[in-house]
Amino acid sequence: MEFVVFLIAGAIVVGGAIGVLAFANPVHAALSLVATLFGVAVLFVAQNAQFLAAVQVIVYAGAIVVLFLFVIMLLGVDRSDDLRVEPIVGQRPLALLAGVGVLAASLVAVLSAGGSTATRTVRSTAVAIPTEEPDVTSLGRLLFTDHVLALEITAILLTVAVVGAVVLARRPGRDEPSVEADVEAEA
Amino acid sequence: MSMFLAAAETASTPFPHLLTLLVLVPAVGSAVVALISKQRPDVCRQAAFLFSATAGALAVYLLWNFDVADGGFQFVESTTWVRDFGIGWRLGVDGISLFLVVLSGLLFPFVILAITPEHDPKPYYAWLLLLQAGSLGVFVALDLFAFFVFFEIVLVPMYFLIGSWGHGNRTYAAMKFFLFTMFGSALMLVGILALVATAADAIGAGATFDIRELAQADLATNTARLIFCAFALAFAVKVPIFPLHTWLPDAHTEAPTAGSVILAGIMLKLGTYGFVRFGLYLFPEASRWAAPVFLTLGVVGILYGAVVATMQRDLKRLVAYSSVAHLGFIVLGTFAMNSQGVTGGIMQMVNHGLSTGALFLLVGMIYERRHTREIAELNGLQRSAPIMAAVFTVVMLSSIGLPGLNGFVGEFLILNGTFIANRWYAVIAAVGVILAALYLLWAYQRVFHGTPRSVENESFADLRLREGLAVGALLVPIVVLGVYPKPMIERIEPSVAVLLEHIEARTGVAPAEGPTAERSTVEELFGAGHGDDASHGANAGKVDK
Amino acid sequence: MSLLASLAAQAAQPVTPVTSVLVETPSVDWWGLLPLILLAAPAMVLLHASSLLRRVFRGFYATASVGIAGTAAAFAIVQWFRVTDLDGGRGPYTTVASAYTVDGYSVFITVVLCVAVIVSSLVADGYLRREGLDGAETYALLLLSASGGVVMASANDLIVLFLGLEVLSIPVYVLAASHLRRSASQEAGFKYFILGAFASAFFLYGIALVYGATGSTNLGTIRQTLQDDPFVDGGALLLAGAAFLLVGFGFKVAAVPFHAWTPDVYQGAPSPVVSYMASGVKAAGFAGLVRVFDVTLAGQVRDWQPIVVGLAVLTLLGGSVLAVAQTDVKRMLAYSSISHAGFLLVGVAVASPEGAAAVLFYLAAYGLMIGGTFAVVTAVAGPGEQATGIDAFRGLGRRQPMLALGFTVLLFAQTGVPLTSGFFAKFGVIKAAVDGGWYWLAAVAMLSAVVGAFVYLRLVVAMFMVEDIDPHHGDGDVVAATPAPVAMPAALTLALAATVVATLVVGFLPGLLTDLAGDAVPVVLATLP
Repeated sequence: MEFVVFLIAGAIVVGGAIGVLAFANPVHAALSLVATLFGVAVLFVAQNAQFLAAVQVIVYAGAIVVLFLFVIMLLGVDRSDDLRVEPIVGQRPLALLAGVGVLAASLVAVLSAGGSTATRTVRSTAVAIPTEEPDVTSLGRLLFTDHVLALEITAILLTVAVVGAVVLARRPGRDEPSVEADVEAEA
Repeated sequence: MSMFLAAAETASTPFPHLLTLLVLVPAVGSAVVALISKQRPDVCRQAAFLFSATAGALAVYLLWNFDVADGGFQFVESTTWVRDFGIGWRLGVDGISLFLVVLSGLLFPFVILAITPEHDPKPYYAWLLLLQAGSLGVFVALDLFAFFVFFEIVLVPMYFLIGSWGHGNRTYAAMKFFLFTMFGSALMLVGILALVATAADAIGAGATFDIRELAQADLATNTARLIFCAFALAFAVKVPIFPLHTWLPDAHTEAPTAGSVILAGIMLKLGTYGFVRFGLYLFPEASRWAAPVFLTLGVVGILYGAVVATMQRDLKRLVAYSSVAHLGFIVLGTFAMNSQGVTGGIMQMVNHGLSTGALFLLVGMIYERRHTREIAELNGLQRSAPIMAAVFTVVMLSSIGLPGLNGFVGEFLILNGTFIANRWYAVIAAVGVILAALYLLWAYQRVFHGTPRSVENESFADLRLREGLAVGALLVPIVVLGVYPKPMIERIEPSVAVLLEHIEARTGVAPAEGPTAERSTVEELFGAGHGDDASHGANAGKVDK
Repeated sequence: MSLLASLAAQAAQPVTPVTSVLVETPSVDWWGLLPLILLAAPAMVLLHASSLLRRVFRGFYATASVGIAGTAAAFAIVQWFRVTDLDGGRGPYTTVASAYTVDGYSVFITVVLCVAVIVSSLVADGYLRREGLDGAETYALLLLSASGGVVMASANDLIVLFLGLEVLSIPVYVLAASHLRRSASQEAGFKYFILGAFASAFFLYGIALVYGATGSTNLGTIRQTLQDDPFVDGGALLLAGAAFLLVGFGFKVAAVPFHAWTPDVYQGAPSPVVSYMASGVKAAGFAGLVRVFDVTLAGQVRDWQPIVVGLAVLTLLGGSVLAVAQTDVKRMLAYSSISHAGFLLVGVAVASPEGAAAVLFYLAAYGLMIGGTFAVVTAVAGPGEQATGIDAFRGLGRRQPMLALGFTVLLFAQTGVPLTSGFFAKFGVIKAAVDGGWYWLAAVAMLSAVVGAFVYLRLVVAMFMVEDIDPHHGDGDVVAATPAPVAMPAALTLALAATVVATLVVGFLPGLLTDLAGDAVPVVLATLP
């Protein structure tokens, strides 16, 4: 059963990812991204991580893709980049090389550690989640015990981000031209 | 070796913190001058003279109270500076540094009196005073950290003096001077730290920068040699020894007169003094190991400096290259590593400071009048300026090493020592003496002899009273030390003897003395006719305490 | 569909009635968190007050910022005596579920950060008014960023460390772009943000891998785990994680080859902000680096040391050599700050208490030097920061000798001339390297310092040794337009004077600071839970 779910969800994930790359229309690409994110959410559920699944749907499929669509709409749906031109020469082969390299390195790291998951699990008891408890509860428990400081600092972080966004979004007064313009005027 | 430490403990200090005061007076003076209004150059000058002369007076007081018979460090002071690192404010003087301290003490007030800067007197005097403080600090430091601090800090005022008050391509010369010297001392810092770390392991006590303790550490031969190389590089750049000398002609030529005088008189001695105090003393075995290299480079420097000097068209550059040759002699004497050689080397440090300093002063005066240093432009000056010509002759002869003048004594001792240690070096080096006569006399002939061939040379003004007094003040020691070097030698000798004993004890190799050699050789050579005076002089020193 | 089904299945299950589960929250030592709170909370208050109240007097925000940072520093100093006094005091401890350490080390960095904020606030006061940007946001963001730095220095948990890093960085991204009328500033902020976000991603991935290898994000637990079983079979995982963490830190402290953002950002960002970047951000970055590598991964030193040594060499040489080629003073200082990061990396690489103490000393000394240096650059660059070429400094020694002299002291301090704090900073690092047997590394560092010296000397030459007359534009002509005198606001002058005096005092009596740095370090190396 689990395997079947994995196969179907995996197909959705991969199909969506291919769609993101393959669709010429950016709106279609964004929508297939939604499919991918849903697929991942399903995989989370299959792993008994309901909270993550919900977050995945709400935050990614909900907020972020909508934001994407906003941006696409603002920039104009009909515009498409000419993909035949490489902005930086040799960029693509290098990117491929780097991608393969990172993949290989990650695989080596994961596989070489893979044999000993058992011992790792034993070590992880400090954060092991009691199985009878719903994961949302245990997550909440962790957030208010071991990671309460991180939670509080996240609050600061969000405030900082909001302040920063406001500062940056503020426009310079209309009567104040840019510094470069000042200098040009002087010259 | 316990002698050193014992001396340190028993040394009476007639004037507490004399050496600290010696370093602080000009440093404070520098700050004071910096605070005087720019509108009052005369006040700046007087204040500068006052402070540097006070330091000079303290140096003379030091000389007066110096215990002639004692070869160890005197007037020793020791205070903690950075506790965690074993760094201390440790000062002391022995025969090796004594005369360099006196030279630094006296040359600066003299330069301030003799030379007026062309512009911006206030910062000029402030930098000069800082330079004096740094130079004095180098010669009295018994702590490697303090030594390094002073060794580096003197770069800053000199850099400004050359760069701001120099001539021609001064910024290039200043930059080259700074970077070359800093390059040398960069590795020395690593060497110092390596020495302190390995010595701490060898002694078993905590880390210390006290050279008296570091000299006692048993280092592995190769370690010591490696660290010695790091030190030697710094000193070799500063001296400068032959292949590293290229900054010197530029710096000397472009520097203002005062800068040249100080550079020749004192700054170059930081390197040669470093070799004696830190090279031979801290790394006896490594010094002996490296001696052939330095003897060779010394000889090469003598010949190279002489040959290149001969070919110079610029009078100041000629004197600069003659410095390379003279410093070759000092290196030769130092690495002969026997009593005559080292004593001669130390004497020659002072002598070179006096004679080359005087030469730069005279060249500066010529430049001031004619605004050129081209030898081809100058001729027949003897006719219009006979007094200057006479003075120039004496100074030049001292530089050549004519008997009866101070240059002879040092060069003779060096050649004597080198001959005993390794005769062929002495033979070749002696050629350098002849070459010195050649280039200096030839230059003199071109500049002073004959009839003036241009209006400017005809109307060349002779020495003014102030200038005459200035040069005259340098002529006195030039003549006195040439005729009667005994008081100087008898103060240097015991310390050299202690140093050589230390080297012998550490390496097990006796210094290469001649067949008739005893340690009194030097005194026999120069002091035979003055036995009475010697004891008189020694007594005089004691009575005053 | 499948999701809905599964949710439905979930709902169908008999859910255990959630009775009020009693969660025992960890005990919090508020006293220990006080400096952090004193930085973050008043910053928020300042922000609110600025929108609600009229400005009380000119320079109120800067004064408030200095006051806030000063108060935080004062409390940190009070804390210092408690945590470093091992006999009578409390000694170092962790709090909030051992996620936050309070030890001499974190307190030291806290004070360094506060001083960095104070200096750049003083400089920013005149700058913002000159540029017509006066407002509370700059100061609030500076303070918030510093609070992030405090979190980084105190973090005993990788997640907290990461959050600290973000709280540190985000305000600085914004500040870099805060000159809204200068496109260079916008570009700087953008570049810094993109590369910084990239670095954060690396860092986060590193945390994940380290967690995978050791089963914890708590530094103490990680260290214990690795101590119990140094040859964990997840070695590759751990090392990959450590490598990614190093990349993240490398970006933050501008180590070659992760330095590419530095020159552009330094050049474009407002100078007071750059001052904070070079002093505060660097200090926080190294604080995290030392705690993660020198302390937590101390057992793996054989594995990471060669890499950090390599980074140090590249950074030293890259920074100093590239600095030589620059003609813009801010770019030059950017590269020189890279070279200084190289020195700091040497201190990290030797992985000894001496090395860590040297890093602390260096951070404190360098923070002051570079703060003063950018104060001068701010003043000289003039409105819109147009005059940042070397030519802007030409003849300054004659026109404004005191300013030039102060600047010279700071430049010589960065060169490493004795009797300035910069010399002893280098001395400490070199000593740590030599004591650790890294002779060649010490030699490379010193040689790079010589190369770097050229850069500072060029500025000194421009100030003192070049006439105002440009040799290329007509010879002998007395300059028609003598440049207008550099305006020196009082606060900026105060910052400059204070940093110069501190540089000299520490230079003459380095013992004042070495004792403190020495006290701060062994504690951290010895007492993680």
